[in-house]
Amino acid sequence: MHMADALVSPAVGGIMLAASAGAIAYSAYKCKDDLDEKKIPLMGVMGAVIFAGQMINFTIPGTGSSGHIGGGILLAALLGPFPAFLALTAVLLIQALFFADGGLLALGANIWNLGFYACFLVYPFVFRPIIKKAITPTRITVASIVSVVLALSLGAFSVVLETLASGITELPFATFVGLMTPIHLAIGLVEGIVTGGILVFVYKMRPELLESSAENKKLPMNISIKKVIGMLLIFAVVMGGGLSLLASSNPDGLEWSMAGVAGTPELEAVGDVYENAANVQESTAFLPGYTFKSSGEEGSAIGTSLSGIIGGGITLLLAGGTGYLIYAVKRKKEKAA
Amino acid sequence: MSTITESLNTINSLEEMAEGNTIIHRLHPMVKLITTMLYLVLVISFNPYNITGLMVFAFYPIILMALAEIPYKPLLKRLLVALPFSFFAGLSNIIFNQQLALMIGPMPVSYGVISFISIMVKTIFTVMAVLILIATTSLPKISYQLLSIKVPKIIVEQIMLTYRYISVLLEQVSNMYTAYILRAPDSKGIKMKDMGIFVGQLLLKSFDRAENIYIAMKCRGYDGNYLYAKPSPLVKIDWLYLLLVSGILSLMRFFDLSQFIGSFL
Amino acid sequence: MLEIEKLNYAYPDGHQAIRDVNLKIKEGESIALVGANGAGKSSLFKLIIGISDIKEGSIKVEELLVEKKTLKDIRRKVGMVFQNPDDQLFMTKVYDDIAFGPRNELLTEEEVEVRVVSALEQLGITHLRDRMPHRLSGGEKRVIAIATVLAMHPRVILFDEPTSFLDPQARRNVINTLDSLKMTKIIATHDLDMALDICDRVIILHHGSVFADGTVKDILLDEKLLSQCHLELPLCMQKPRVR
Repeated sequence: MHMADALVSPAVGGIMLAASAGAIAYSAYKCKDDLDEKKIPLMGVMGAVIFAGQMINFTIPGTGSSGHIGGGILLAALLGPFPAFLALTAVLLIQALFFADGGLLALGANIWNLGFYACFLVYPFVFRPIIKKAITPTRITVASIVSVVLALSLGAFSVVLETLASGITELPFATFVGLMTPIHLAIGLVEGIVTGGILVFVYKMRPELLESSAENKKLPMNISIKKVIGMLLIFAVVMGGGLSLLASSNPDGLEWSMAGVAGTPELEAVGDVYENAANVQESTAFLPGYTFKSSGEEGSAIGTSLSGIIGGGITLLLAGGTGYLIYAVKRKKEKAA
Repeated sequence: MSTITESLNTINSLEEMAEGNTIIHRLHPMVKLITTMLYLVLVISFNPYNITGLMVFAFYPIILMALAEIPYKPLLKRLLVALPFSFFAGLSNIIFNQQLALMIGPMPVSYGVISFISIMVKTIFTVMAVLILIATTSLPKISYQLLSIKVPKIIVEQIMLTYRYISVLLEQVSNMYTAYILRAPDSKGIKMKDMGIFVGQLLLKSFDRAENIYIAMKCRGYDGNYLYAKPSPLVKIDWLYLLLVSGILSLMRFFDLSQFIGSFL
Repeated sequence: MLEIEKLNYAYPDGHQAIRDVNLKIKEGESIALVGANGAGKSSLFKLIIGISDIKEGSIKVEELLVEKKTLKDIRRKVGMVFQNPDDQLFMTKVYDDIAFGPRNELLTEEEVEVRVVSALEQLGITHLRDRMPHRLSGGEKRVIAIATVLAMHPRVILFDEPTSFLDPQARRNVINTLDSLKMTKIIATHDLDMALDICDRVIILHHGSVFADGTVKDILLDEKLLSQCHLELPLCMQKPRVR
């Protein structure tokens, strides 16, 4: 699931861009020293395969719905974690630009959510250990399902954290997680089975492809646990910081997010009430001249806000008019020429 | 299948737009990249309850589209595809924040509704800005620029190679899909149990293709390093555009035009 | 200028692709390399450009032995145009693709431009200079693939099925392009009519060895010989069968 620009705050977007840039730089550095030059075109073509592969809808038996493949684990299994991460980055950038899937500011978050966990956490510590002893179709299938489910869940959990830290949607934490988890478990299961099927087929036809990336002589796979944990810690601290910053500007927010984390039952009630006067004041501070009244009180305030909204409408019309004018002038010029 | 044809069409139409030759197209890619990023940051930096201040940012996409002569229909179509996710994220605000913000006549408007509108407007603006960037600047041009801001070469190579082979792969997938569907007429898509073989075949073919590309590179003296020409420097008009647009955008962030117009009513 | 001596090659799976091939090719010759599918044409090309390692026999290009340490120089002398231009054109802009080889020779950007422009001009495709390869027609891609090789100023060019998958006009255009190139050419093809048009010598490979080697007339008009190796007379030499 791709985060959109409109759903991240500049701070969260910037931090995630920096985090992903760090992971990219490290991968590029790793690849520069140890990558077989043969893999450069392979990575590019594999990126295109994932791009095209995601367009294939397959039917899920017994449900009438359809799914499509992800790509992180598949790429990592075929290319190894560092090249896979770079290939995925390229795919996500192209999707962001051409398809408005995610956006440029949210790109860092998307690279992190869809690439980092799959390539640097799940693949080296779950997928590879399972197939390391012996590569068999059963092991490949199990490894794929477990890995895809894990990677997707971690990604989805990050989406929740990033969205909450951005403070744009007002979904309470527990509800959000409650919504995301079952969906992503189901998606992960289906995607994992398909990923396993693909890898088993590739293994049967060309075993050396999987073997070489599982052993990998040239590019060492032993990602140091310390580094990954270090990066995760930074991520956690930053996200926590983001959340608490948000909370401090919104005291009730802290309460609800803490309540959410603790899973207290009064949560649903909190949802309606946490917008109190402090919040109103805060938003009015951003709108000099506006005084949104919290309830019932009629007065000049409503007049102001109404006029503001009408003003907004006029602004839009003006913008549209300007655009039309430029079009018209251009067309006239063309005709004259 | 429709998604594949549709994505091919999307890429094609955006590429065709990027081949235009207007004042916007001629600007230095770096300048367009920076102003687009600035626009995105400014738009999403608005407080979720401030929608009047946001409105003035409509000028940017509309004026740019007019100057660059970008047809609005394909962009709007793309926009529609991008909206649903934001729509649902925004919908939750309506449900979870029902505190009254103001009355429009007899109709109560809650904070949730306001922030919902704000999310939708921001989505429209940000998506438009990115689409306008790619409709006036080809992807290769953008990725060249990444080199000059020290993005590692290997990433730029990956972007270029992936981009180059997307249409080749999409066509291949679409052919394979047609061949499959012709022999499984009642199937609505690829059956899940066939996906392994379907994508697996695609992967094997692609491994061979990558091998051939590698040989082709080797034949022309490749030794692990892509070499590019240096990107061209910014000229006067680029600097002018950069300063002017960033200046205006920053002003727009702090001057609420809607409010100003509203005050005359 | 190209000498092949006692060349044998077997793939790792044991399949013998090349059997005792001996050939001498002179400067400026235009040679058609024909034979059924799997006769060894591609294998021979891969050996000449050093993609497959030579284990038995030898290949020399202008007195330079093809081996690991000479590969860089060999590939500067020998260019190869692939059957599928999508494999050969891997850059996002025609200009950059043609410039890829010259840039790898570490020329200055001005020198690179001279090479690219002259390759484009020689083939009459200057208008394609700034286009993106994936948006071009099959015929255009084929000619650009030739330009990418030309820009490296090779002494010999190997062509792998240069006229396959093209419509008649695009095919004619490629044939004219090939004919205009004056360096040594080895063209692996099933298109015997093209061979008749622009080649002066024909080599038939059959099961990995040289089955026949002679002038176009001697070989392409010998119906019996051709049918022995899964070939037939060029179409223009066959009796028209109009129903």
